[in-house]
Amino acid sequence: MQFLANGLIAGSLAALIAGGLALVYGVLGVFNLALGQMVLIGGYATWWLYQVVELPFIISVFGGMAIGALVAWISFEIFVKPFYKRHVFLPLVTTIALSMILDGIILLLFKERPRSILPSMKRMMEFGGVRISTEQISLILFTLVLLVCFAYILHSTAFGRRIRAVVQGEHTAISLGICAPSLHCFLFIMSGVLAACGGIFLGIDQNITPTLAFPITIKAYAAIIAGGKGNFWGAIFCAYLIAFIEQYAIGIHWFGSFYIPAGYQQVVALLFIITFLLFRPYGLFSSASRRA
Amino acid sequence: MSLLSLFSVSLTLNNHTILNDVSFDVAQGEVIGLIGPNGSGKTTLFNLLSGFLKPTSGSILFKDENITNVIPSKRARLGFGRVFQHFGIFRDMTLEENVRVALEALPRDKRKELGNMDELVDATLDMALLKPYAKKKAGSLSGGQMRLLEIARTLTSGKELFLLDEPTAGVSPKMTHQVADMISKLKQQGKTVLIIEHDLPFIAQICDRVIVLDVGKVVLSGNPTEVRDSEELKEIYFG
Repeated sequence: MQFLANGLIAGSLAALIAGGLALVYGVLGVFNLALGQMVLIGGYATWWLYQVVELPFIISVFGGMAIGALVAWISFEIFVKPFYKRHVFLPLVTTIALSMILDGIILLLFKERPRSILPSMKRMMEFGGVRISTEQISLILFTLVLLVCFAYILHSTAFGRRIRAVVQGEHTAISLGICAPSLHCFLFIMSGVLAACGGIFLGIDQNITPTLAFPITIKAYAAIIAGGKGNFWGAIFCAYLIAFIEQYAIGIHWFGSFYIPAGYQQVVALLFIITFLLFRPYGLFSSASRRA
Repeated sequence: MSLLSLFSVSLTLNNHTILNDVSFDVAQGEVIGLIGPNGSGKTTLFNLLSGFLKPTSGSILFKDENITNVIPSKRARLGFGRVFQHFGIFRDMTLEENVRVALEALPRDKRKELGNMDELVDATLDMALLKPYAKKKAGSLSGGQMRLLEIARTLTSGKELFLLDEPTAGVSPKMTHQVADMISKLKQQGKTVLIIEHDLPFIAQICDRVIVLDVGKVVLSGNPTEVRDSEELKEIYFG
């Protein structure tokens, strides 16, 4: 049971990040390879506001989200907007450059030391043999609430219909009067905010270090490749699925007493990417086209 | 008064001239057929008119306002309605959502002018004879039904100028009549229509005027019978 709870926690974190990324890919067709760094920036910014500037916790969290939004907006204007209409591969190159720049800034500002937003002991609870902290319960609940909100916005509001229209046929949507470029910018910023939320939860639940960016990016990409590139709900489902498999793989004894060291859990995400690219490149849920 | 005017519009891409000095006027309420061999620049001209491409030189006027540099979504809000050659519908949305999203994209004052949205959605689906399938995904429709949905959606969303790119492509002969009926309804309502079409009898049946394009130039213009019987047209198509 404990690995199920762990999977739910890790899956909630991955779902936040992968969901935003799936929307961006679905609408813009852009793979943002600086996503992991955007996650870290949200976490580090909140840590700095709470631990260094000593602002109240809630204000620090909103501050972290706002900084995440700002970084995403600047990144979009400089590293994505001038390139993504010219060639599909250009944003791949420019966001790699962005990830290197952000890595440098993170190292320069926050050093290599692990940082925790709430370094004090967590309040642990126990339900039927499962140990879970109140912060982890809030992460799971927050993600669920956010997903319900997203479901409502995407499927029951005019704004959501516009997003889905642009995903399914950008030229048609534009010819109906939908201003796709402003939607692109808004969604990129939204994915930055979701990534920042992921970073904030990571910083609350565990420690954040600059080396976490790459594994976070890989896990999010594994979820969107397996879920069907651009399929929002597919990415969310696969984020949870990968997290459960990871936790299961390291949580049980294999062949008697052998167990897989926790450091190898990233391999699951890489195996997902390889398996899906080889045998089902369009993902679990999507056809060849992008969907929302 | 002309609703739309093109003045010496040319387009060059990668040193290749796609449209060369194209000029014509379109009067309010006119139905114009745009014909020509494949590669003559018909769809490119529609892309220029809807703003997806910008001309290298020349200008486009809509209601006497220069719209040459106006972005496509704004042109749609000004009253340009486009029906694409390859079914411009959202396949993973229901029929109802397909109509609703078009109405919601209109400027607020225009939306108010059109009246109650639910009734308008119903009326649109009714017009396309698709009301029983309102909750179905648009991707489950036949080619003809998709075309009817697309035209009906454009028709009810308060557009003034309709750019129909091969509206009978991929449509069964029975459905072609329904498409023709719908275009006639546009004409009766005083809407202005430009149609790209290869089906000459279809063009002759519904158009007031035909413009012939060849290698990016307007080579012929006149009423459908004149154009159909002209030697130049035979020369263009059969050499």
